[in-house]
Amino acid sequence: MNIDHIDVIQALIDGILYGSTYALLGLGFTLIFGAMHKLNIAYAASSIAGAYVGLASISVMAIPPILVFFIGPLSAGAIGLVIYFACFRYMPTGNQLAPLMASIGALFFVDEIIIHETSGSPLSFPALLPDSYFFLGQFGIRGDLVMVMFFSFVLMGIVMFLLYRTKLGLATRATSQQSVAALLCGIPTHRTNATTFVLAGILGGFAGCLIAAAVGVLSPLITLPLTIKGLIVTVIGGLGSIRGAIIAGFLIGSFENIFLLVRGVNERDIYVFLLLFVFLVFRPNGLFGTAIDRD
Amino acid sequence: MLYFLGIFQTIGVHTLLGLSAYVLLLTGQLSLGQVGFFAIGAYVSGILTVLFSWHIFAALAVGALVAGFFAFLIGFPALRVKGLMLVVATIAFSEIVRLFFFNLSWRVEVNGFDVGPDSTQGFREIRYFAANGWEQTHVVALIWSFVILVMFLLWWLDRVRAGAVLRAVGEDDLAAQSSGVNLTMVKVAAMTAGGVIAGIGGGLFAHSTTYVDHHTFTILLATFAVSYPILGGHKNVFGTLLAVIFIQGFVIEGLRFMGDYRNIVFGLLIILAMNLRPQGLVDGHFISDIKKKLGGKPKKDSADA
Repeated sequence: MNIDHIDVIQALIDGILYGSTYALLGLGFTLIFGAMHKLNIAYAASSIAGAYVGLASISVMAIPPILVFFIGPLSAGAIGLVIYFACFRYMPTGNQLAPLMASIGALFFVDEIIIHETSGSPLSFPALLPDSYFFLGQFGIRGDLVMVMFFSFVLMGIVMFLLYRTKLGLATRATSQQSVAALLCGIPTHRTNATTFVLAGILGGFAGCLIAAAVGVLSPLITLPLTIKGLIVTVIGGLGSIRGAIIAGFLIGSFENIFLLVRGVNERDIYVFLLLFVFLVFRPNGLFGTAIDRD
Repeated sequence: MLYFLGIFQTIGVHTLLGLSAYVLLLTGQLSLGQVGFFAIGAYVSGILTVLFSWHIFAALAVGALVAGFFAFLIGFPALRVKGLMLVVATIAFSEIVRLFFFNLSWRVEVNGFDVGPDSTQGFREIRYFAANGWEQTHVVALIWSFVILVMFLLWWLDRVRAGAVLRAVGEDDLAAQSSGVNLTMVKVAAMTAGGVIAGIGGGLFAHSTTYVDHHTFTILLATFAVSYPILGGHKNVFGTLLAVIFIQGFVIEGLRFMGDYRNIVFGLLIILAMNLRPQGLVDGHFISDIKKKLGGKPKKDSADA
């Protein structure tokens, strides 16, 4: 197959558009890491679960399909809260591995429930903008992916506003920097952390719905690749760095699409995962991460 | 009887997998990469006996060495970052290995048959034991002699200086470093040892089941591998064995009537165990408590914190 520069630019455009969903997922991972200095491996699974709940509710109740983009994120937020209480709230503060392991358990718990309920078969998901393919010069652009990117930017804007312009954001950042000192200043750290989980869950639920809408189907098979890509975005962007997560999301999206073009779908993810090792060797702190401290 | 021999095989192989994660856990590292080394051991030793007609022991040894070599390579970049990042790196490594074997197609004609890994179709022709007249009892004996050997070595390791060094790094690596321990060397050594053990386990697994494909080597298996020493506690090798017997013997086989609810139970079990005993179910206190109840004098273990 001959690959000319038009194919490459086309792949880059698609990748950057689709990468906005990775940026959202990475943003959620990094929010949770920033707040508690702990990783929630079940995050992508709970996002997909939220999308499933949304899909189930529109197929059971006679409500307009667009409502899936409201119910999905809200239920993902609720699932995020449950995971906070099940895996993080009552763990010893210094122990990072116990909550991590518990969240891996939660990942399989959520994933197996989805597989059990759907018999593992993919379900079709309502599209954001059906039949909205248009051309910009020589390059074809999927209108629904443009919408996905637009919504991602709106959500990122909302998160930035919440973090840097509201009291809630101040509390979150204070808890993130020094949770004991924040507690002494009268900030309810546990409630702040719970709010962060809900916020990240809502974000993830949106990402899950947007991904499902862009692909057209929802399947339990996508949770694990999404988990790993979300984690890679977080690590490449720098753990806890918000702009890092956003930039790394677009980077991973375009990188993935280039390798999809060059090496095909079966080998694509190998190169995406290898990119992580390139970063671990040459920039272990990620693009924008602060130097890793003792833990 | 065959059924129970099958369970013995599974428990033996999973114990090796659990012990490979146990070595790393001693140094305070949580790795989801063990399944990657397990897959490398399985495929490499399978390819050697099937495509090149090697003897099983030589194939197992080379499989273990190759797995150990990759663990050694992964050790350096992954251990520069620690704790949480190591988990991310090892998940990515396991998936890279799985996707590599998912794409690997290497068909060769041996004795008139096409054999070898066939990408998505899996690697079907690993019939060394049947072709050489091994009975299933012999296979079980082979697996368990490796389990006993590895368990003995790890038990002995806890009684010499090297074990103390590993645990010192696990308890507080800054303190260990300031008393002259070379952290990188210790962690990479533990990683390599874990890789070798997982590689042996993988080779035994491939030959005892005669068939491997990429579906076997998912993150779920990696989670099983780390959950054994975590549930069993990393104070003692026998905890890992008990955890394997509990999960494989009871949760997977004993609850077979529950169908696919068992995987849901497995997830819940990990969450529950981590909340109730974040240091592992069988920690130092648990063992001395049992010894007290049994009337024997509790042994003072200096490694207990």
